[in-house]
This record gives sequence, structure tokens and C-alpha cells, in this order.
Amino acid sequence: MAPKKGGSAKPRGNATEEVEETLQAVVLADTFETRFEPFTLDKPRCLLPLANTPLIEYTFEFLANAGVEEVFLYGGAHSDQLESYINGSKWRAPSSPFKQFTFLKSTSTSVGDVMRDLDGKHLITGDFLVVSGDVISNLPIEGALAKHRARRQADKNAIMTMILREAGRNHRTKASSVSPVFIVDPTKDRCLHYEEIDHHSPESSRLNIDAEIITTFSEIDIRQDLIDCNIDICTPDVLSLWSDSFDYQTPRKQFLYGVLKDYELNGKTIHTHIIEDHYVARVRNLKAYDAVSKDIIARWAYPLCPDTNLLPGHNYELRKGTLYQEQDVTLARSCVLGRRTVIGQGTSIGDKTTVKDTVLGRNCKIGKNVTLEGAYIWDNVVIGDGTTVRQAIIADGVVLGNKCAVEPGSLLSFGVKIADSVTVSEGRRITKAPREEDGESPAYDSEIVGADGEGYEYVPYDDEDDDETASNASSGLIYNMANLSLSTDSISTLSSEISDYGGSRSGSFATSVSDDEEHDTHFVQDAAASVFDSLRDGVTTDVVQLELVSLRMTANASDHEVRRAVASAFMKHAAQLMEAGQGAGEVVSDIFGKYHEIIERALFDRDSAVKTDQVDFLLLLQQDLVHRNRGETVLLFAAKELYELEVIEEEAFEQWWADERSKNTEELQKVRSQTQQFIDWLASAEEEESSEEEESDDE
Amino acid sequence: MPPPSAPLTPGLASFLKSLKTNPIDTSIDNLISLLKRRQIRHSRSCATATAYLLRSVISACRTSDASKLIERVQSVGRRLIAAQPREMVVGNIVRRVLGLIRDEAEDDRDGDFSLSEAGSESQPQTPRAGDDPSEALYGRHDGSASKPLSSLAAHPISMFSLLSQPESENSLPGSPVSASPSGRLPGHPQNKDIRAEVLDGINEIIDELGQVDDQIAAYALDHIHSNEIILTHTSSTTVQKFLLKAAAKRKFTVIHAESYPNNHEATHATVSGTAPNNDELLSTESFQKPLIAHGITVILIPDSAVFALMSRVNKVILGTHSVLANGGLVASAGTRVIARAAKVHQTPVVVVSGVYKLSPVYPFDFESLIEYGDSSKVIGYEDGDLVEQIDVQNPLYDYVPAELVDLYITNLGGHAPSYLYRIVSDHYRKEDISF
Repeated sequence: MAPKKGGSAKPRGNATEEVEETLQAVVLADTFETRFEPFTLDKPRCLLPLANTPLIEYTFEFLANAGVEEVFLYGGAHSDQLESYINGSKWRAPSSPFKQFTFLKSTSTSVGDVMRDLDGKHLITGDFLVVSGDVISNLPIEGALAKHRARRQADKNAIMTMILREAGRNHRTKASSVSPVFIVDPTKDRCLHYEEIDHHSPESSRLNIDAEIITTFSEIDIRQDLIDCNIDICTPDVLSLWSDSFDYQTPRKQFLYGVLKDYELNGKTIHTHIIEDHYVARVRNLKAYDAVSKDIIARWAYPLCPDTNLLPGHNYELRKGTLYQEQDVTLARSCVLGRRTVIGQGTSIGDKTTVKDTVLGRNCKIGKNVTLEGAYIWDNVVIGDGTTVRQAIIADGVVLGNKCAVEPGSLLSFGVKIADSVTVSEGRRITKAPREEDGESPAYDSEIVGADGEGYEYVPYDDEDDDETASNASSGLIYNMANLSLSTDSISTLSSEISDYGGSRSGSFATSVSDDEEHDTHFVQDAAASVFDSLRDGVTTDVVQLELVSLRMTANASDHEVRRAVASAFMKHAAQLMEAGQGAGEVVSDIFGKYHEIIERALFDRDSAVKTDQVDFLLLLQQDLVHRNRGETVLLFAAKELYELEVIEEEAFEQWWADERSKNTEELQKVRSQTQQFIDWLASAEEEESSEEEESDDE
Repeated sequence: MPPPSAPLTPGLASFLKSLKTNPIDTSIDNLISLLKRRQIRHSRSCATATAYLLRSVISACRTSDASKLIERVQSVGRRLIAAQPREMVVGNIVRRVLGLIRDEAEDDRDGDFSLSEAGSESQPQTPRAGDDPSEALYGRHDGSASKPLSSLAAHPISMFSLLSQPESENSLPGSPVSASPSGRLPGHPQNKDIRAEVLDGINEIIDELGQVDDQIAAYALDHIHSNEIILTHTSSTTVQKFLLKAAAKRKFTVIHAESYPNNHEATHATVSGTAPNNDELLSTESFQKPLIAHGITVILIPDSAVFALMSRVNKVILGTHSVLANGGLVASAGTRVIARAAKVHQTPVVVVSGVYKLSPVYPFDFESLIEYGDSSKVIGYEDGDLVEQIDVQNPLYDYVPAELVDLYITNLGGHAPSYLYRIVSDHYRKEDISF
């Protein structure tokens, strides 16, 4: 008695079943970045609430929307929390759209490790999606997938399709500090080259495009207007490629760049699918958190809106003025609810309180005369009377006393308590979580949180430098980073971006020293790029040396130029590592420890009394560091390291210090200011060191 | 009509397919999430999905006790409505199924009763102001004497049904199966499985959903005359069928407002006849010839030009998302403007809608019935500066008050807006209106 319609639907459905290929997806719950600290000290990042719904829910919605049937979820930090959350969620229920849901734990420390691990497990059978656990999108993936499959049928080497969203020149949802540049062959949608350009760099950064690209392709698009949200459609070949290049860590900067560069070698092509409609974004840092929250509230990501009630228990309703409210909200008669506000169940708001552009979680108690503007307040927060919160994130269970002020960019992590009449100054991050290094929580800092407060200021760049000079030197530096004062008015100022600011001058090798010779900049540039690439890829000293020598031979370059290239490359690499979150001391000792031979071979004045080459090298270092972030610290560490490795002798240091060229501008003075203590120490320890010094001379 | 590639994105088709194999709770959850994700949208798809789901729910129920069935359907219905309160047809279908169960339960007892006391059906209607039908329903074990009364009270014989059909069935006229009152099965045991009959009833609802457009179109020739200029809006298939039916016999002109930004693509496709094979609708409509193939002049205009052209228009024919009990409409955005313009020019406004879209809801707060859609359809998301600085709202629906509508054409015929409350009470039982 099946009715007509059902009857006609059935055979069609069955027919397509055979053709259908199960779509698999790999979700990277941890992206191995520290941009959400201090919240990520307590909770995995993908469980942080965005408009009161955990981030990962949006990602799963996206996958369910896309028709994915098998999901592999890679947990990173706090994977136990994530696992218990997932087990209790609807995605594990029998009604889940995912037929198979696998939670994989791994000890990986990078995306590369995860991919290699996945390759080892042989779980992937066909084309699969790779997304991180913070993707928010309402894109039906069908179109991109169909194109990908068609391309792969035609050409086995089309291994990957990246989904990118066009977003104009300025967009709040784009990463602000580093913008990816894609060079695409529009006729085939093939990505030819990829590079990341630093936005905040004072001078215009440059892009290195292989001349061959320009000559081979009749048409290329150079696009910087794309939101890259790391949604990739991959073939299993991608995994083996990851495995082959064991040192790739990041999916874009290294993997994509590397594969495109090695096209000659492996012949693999990567394609782009650029979309002009639908919403695609990634919550990659706190600024994006702010932007994406706004997008969701303003219904750009429809149907992913608060009133869709993604979580089973939610019951948001849309009221006039983009106000989303759950049931059982207690509002005082005289309170004012402005536009773009989300209020969770059980929250009460007191008299004459103003709430605007704010997300309020569940069971919050907001007192009287409170002003909330652009704040993200999670669950169970208590805010006392007369308090003002602007553009801050306040995590679960925070208690704010009466008459407090929380200034823009502040982050109050789980359970922090602020006493009455305390002002949390701009960009401050306060947490109660035990420190990562020693597992202990430091004593509560009553200066910051008040007399009865709980919490201490979280220091993101805690370099564990055992060296006392270093830690002295670094403690002041790290914080007067331009970053926090850069803050204009938005959450962009949230220090999430620190990691991006660290070493900001990629791609500008020659400019720092280019005031003298013009003709040889070409060599310096090439050599620096080559050495830099080698350093980054972790090639052995011999190989680097070989390349350097051959370059030098072809260009007939002078020793000075070689040194300049080396100094430039080393410092750039150091800056890059520091950008990735490592401490200065660690980075410097790492690089110099591994590659000091390269420098040694560029210095030829070991036996002469006047150490011109060594002084020259130091000067070049100094000049290069003038333009880099935290150049002072790096110079200090570099000097110390070079001395300990016996690459540069004590006399050279003294001569360099005395040299006019090292102090004739203010900038140079500034850069070397911290190294003063090292020079002083050298002078005082001269006697005991001298014997060693002689030994090394004999070598 | 094999689709070119396997449809990955879940939708109505994949839901109906999975309904056959999945356990019932899974299907319920599945439909809820499809509704939430808006992968099933449009009134008819929602109605069809709900009807199929309830059919499975009832056939999976291992009880023949009417009250338990009602409870079960109510609980499922509540969840579905909570998932997408603005798709009112979901609630309508649930209410009709509830009504079916109640009817069957009462007819059972009626059957027994009519054996002993044959005159009960032809009894004149007694005044029943004080009768609370729900009380009668829940107190039905008290005694059999009050039952025929309460059954009548809960299911009054309306004027409309007096004219069209003697039995006060809640199924539509014209479907032959509908006339299967249990009174004709007097020999049936008292505790027979009412499920079978309820399932039959649901199948009738599903059939109705399939035929409703054709039934409405049957009235087309009464309303569209030669050389008229008709204005319409959106790509509603009901309207298209209506016009096509008339186009077979008469020549007239159609002005089609494109309903940018939410429906313009579909509208363009409808006008030009390049409608893609739409899996959602599961119908053969998409294969029919467009109006222009019948030699009808179709003029596509932007919504903003409606007022300027209205003076030339003889009749406005509108589709709708749902119809409310007071005769008001919730229809796609832009409808209200058209209806108002028509009012100003004294142009008659005709709304074509299946009875399944008729909702017993009164629009006390019609703002809450309006769904807001994707802002990026109004302004491109890539325009970062604008996105940052302005609030964009994209309402998907308009509320059109009853006084702007002159005539409703449903599958039961034409009605004045003021008469709709009567059809509501014919189709839904009072106790189900807020279940």
C-alpha cells in the first residue's frame, strides 16, 4: 500500500546507493596552536562556546550537512574531556548522521604528525575531508566534491582541493596578521604557489614567484582576498605525501608550499575551489572568535544561528533587534537589551543594566547598573552591581565584584574571582589554572584581582631560560611588545595574536642591509633564501654548506656577502621559530648549535689579531636584528651562543663593541643595549676564559 | 531520471529512503535535525516528511490503545514542532493524525452504539456549549450513553461538509477511500486494531499532499478568464499548476515578480522553464512545460515594479507558506507589498493553498512567525567593510493580514478569508489545537 510518491522515490534512492562512495572526514580537534590561552589551559579549544554552542558542534553540523558518513576525530590536549563530551553528544547516538565515529587519541604535536599517524593506521579508503575542529560553514560540499572527483578521474595527480571563500580586501573574519596569498591558474583552478604575507609588517612585504610560473601559464591569478578555512578534500595520496616528508608540520605553510614547490619532483597538483556564496570561516584566534560570533548572530551563517538550537537542550528564540533569548530568563523591568545579544537560560539581569552586542551564557547573574558591551560571557558568571565589561571574554564561573571595570581585550579564564572595585586593565589575561611547566598555580596576585580575588596573570611567553642573564633580559622585553598597545578598539588586541607578531618580517632579506652595494643584493637574496629554506627543512650542515659554496661560486660573491646572507637567513629562521611560539634562547641555541659550522666557514680571521671577519659578522647580525622583533634579546642570546660555541672569539666581541659602525645610529645602539651585560661579563671573566680561548685558537 | 551524481546532502529523498530501514527513534531524530538544518524546507516537503514519519511511528507502536497512540504522536509532534516552529505544516499534519486517531477510537464505540441505537447519526445537533470535548475523551470509560454526543461535539457537522459530503470525515472530498466510516463494519470486535485504520487515514493524507495542486488547479478556469493580466510572485508550484491549467484553454498574460533575493533563481527558472530536477519536491512538476510553451506571455519584473504595474493587473494570484486561522497569511517576503498594492488599486487578491497549509494558529504575535534567513543574500559577505558596520536582516516571510486577501482557493473550493475558521474546525479537533 505504498503510496505513489514513496514508490517513485525508492527505486531512485536504491539506484544511487551503489554509486555512492562513503565520504570520510578527519577532524583535527587540536590545531596545535596556543592562541586561545589561557582558556585552553582548562578546556580543549573546540569545546569553547561560540554563541553558547561548543565550536565542535558547528564543525559536525557542517560535516553532517555535507553528507559525511565516517568521522575520525583526533583529540589533542585535554582529549579526555573531549572524549567524554563526544560520548554524551548526539553524534554518538544511533540517530547520528555519521555511520561511523572514531575517536583517535594521539600524542601528536603537529598536524603533520596526525597525518602521518593516520597514514599508518590505514583507515582512509577514499576521498576524505580534512577540517579542523573550529570550522563553521553552511556550505554544501557537493559541488566542490564533484569537481574534485572529476579532476581526479582525469588526472590521478590532482590530489587535493582546497575550499576558499572570497572575502574582499578587508574582512573581519580574515586572519589579520598573516594573509595567505594563493597563485592560481584560473583555467584549471590549479594552485601554483602559496605564500604567507605578514600584514603588520611596516614595509610592504614581497612575494617570490618563480619566474617559470609566469612564463608557463598564460593566465594567473594572484589572490589575497580569500578566507582560507582549511577545508581540504584530499585523496589518500595526500597522506603518503605527508609521510614522505617527515618534517612537514603545518598544512599550509609547509605542506602546501612544499608540495607546490616540488611539483617537478612528484608531479602532484593541488587545486582550489573558490566559492562566492555561503559562509565559511575558521575560529583560528580570538579575533576570529569575535568576528565569527558576530557573523553567527547576524545570521550570515544561516541556518547555523543560535535559534537553530543545535544542542538538544537549547531553546533560543529570535526576538526583534537580533536578540536571541532562551526561556527562563529573568529581566528586570528597567534593563535595556540592545541589539545583537544572546541570552541563555536561567540568566538574570538586574535593574538599569545595559547589555549590547553581548553573548551571555546560561545561569549568569548580572547585577544592577551593569554595562556589558561586546562581551562574551560564558556560563555561571556572576557580575556585581555597577560593573562595566567591554569587549572581553569571561569564562565559566567567573565572579566579578561590585564596581569593577573590565577593559577591552581582557580575558578572564575559568573560575577567576575579581574583588570589588578592581579594574582589570586592557589586554590582561587572568587564570587560575596551574601553570603548564611546573603544574603548580602561583599565588593569587592581589594587585591584579584584588584582596579577595582568585587568579594570577597568565604569562604566555614563559621562556624557561635557566640562564639568569637571559631571563633578566627577557622579562621586560616580551611585554612591551607593540601588540598590546596596537590595540585599537576590538578584540583584535587580544594577545592571541602575539604568536603572529613574534617575527614578523618574512620575505625581506636584503632590505635590512641594502644601503651599500646594489649589485650583489641578488646573490645575498638567493643565498639567504636557500640557506633559510635549508634551515627550515632541517637539512644537515654539509648540504647547506655545499649549496652555499656553489651559489657563491656562480655569483663570484665576496666573503662579506656570504656572511651577510648567512646572518640574514639565520635571523630570519630564528624569528620564524619564535613566531611559532618558542623562546628566544631556545631558538638561538638550537640554530647556532646545529649550524655553527656554516658560520665558522665564512670566517677566515681566526689567526689574525684584528678579527675583521668576525666583527663584520657581528655587525651584520646586529644590522639585521634592528628590524626584527625582539632583536635585542636575540642578539644577546646569539652573542652568548657564538661565544660558547667558540665561533667568535672574545677579542672579536671587544673589537665589535668598540667599533664605530656598531653604534653610529640610534637603532643600532638600541639593539645592542641588552648585550651590554654580556660584554661586561666577558670583561670580568677574562682571566679564567683566556686559557680556553687559547686552546680554541690552536685548532 | 537518474540523478547525475549521488545526492550527498541529506534531504527529503534521503530521509524517506532511510525511514524504511532505520529504527523509528533514529528517524525521529533524523527528521528533527533535518528540520533544524533546513535541509527539508517548503511546506509540502515538511508535510510529506511528517506524514511519512508519523505513519512509521504508528505502525511501530505495539499498542492498539487509542490513548497511548495519541500520547505517542503528541510527544513526537511536540519535538518536531520545537525543532522548527515556523514550519507550521508540521503541526498541522500532527494535528490531523491526532484527529484521525480520536475519530477511529470514537467510531469504534460509535459502531457498537449504532447497532443498538440506530438513529444517532441523524439526530439533530444539540446545543453543546457546555460540553468539553477533551473531558469527554478522557472520561470515555464512564459510560456509553454520553459518547455519541461527545463525538458529535468534538466533530461538528459543518455547513461546508453538509453541502459537499454527508459524512463529516476530515479527509477531502473526491478521494474515494475517505468514505470508509467504521459504522459499516458493525461486526468488528470492540478491541480491534485501530492502527490499521489510522494508517489508512495517514495514507490518505499523503495522497492528498500529492494531489492537492491538481485539485486546486481544477478550479482555475472559474477564476482566470481570457485576456486577463495576472500578477504572481515566487516560484510556487501550486500557482504554476493553477496557471497552466487555465493556459490550456485560455490566453492571458502573466506578470511575474521575481522575489529577490530569496527565491529569484527559482523564479527565473520557473519562468524560463529551465527548472532543475528538484529532488526536494519529489514530483513531476519540474518536468512540465513552462507557461511560455503554452503561448502565454510571461513578464518578469522586479518586486519594486509591482506598484507601477498594478493598475493594469486584473487579478493577483499568490502562493503561500501557511494560512492562519483568521485568514491571514504567512507567505514569502514581498507578498505583503503586493497585497497592499493590490488593495490600493482594488485588484482582487486570490490565494491558492492546499488545506494542509491551513493552521489553527491565531497570529497574536505574528513577528514570531517570521523567519529570518541568510543575510548574505542581501549583501555579499565579501564586502567586509559593510558587514562590519551594518545590520542586515533578510526576512523570509511576510505576514499578510486577512483584510488584504479577497479569496482563498483550496482543494475544497473557494472561500472567503472570514470563513477559514470553519475549515479549521472541520480539520482539527479542538483538543489538538494546542497539544
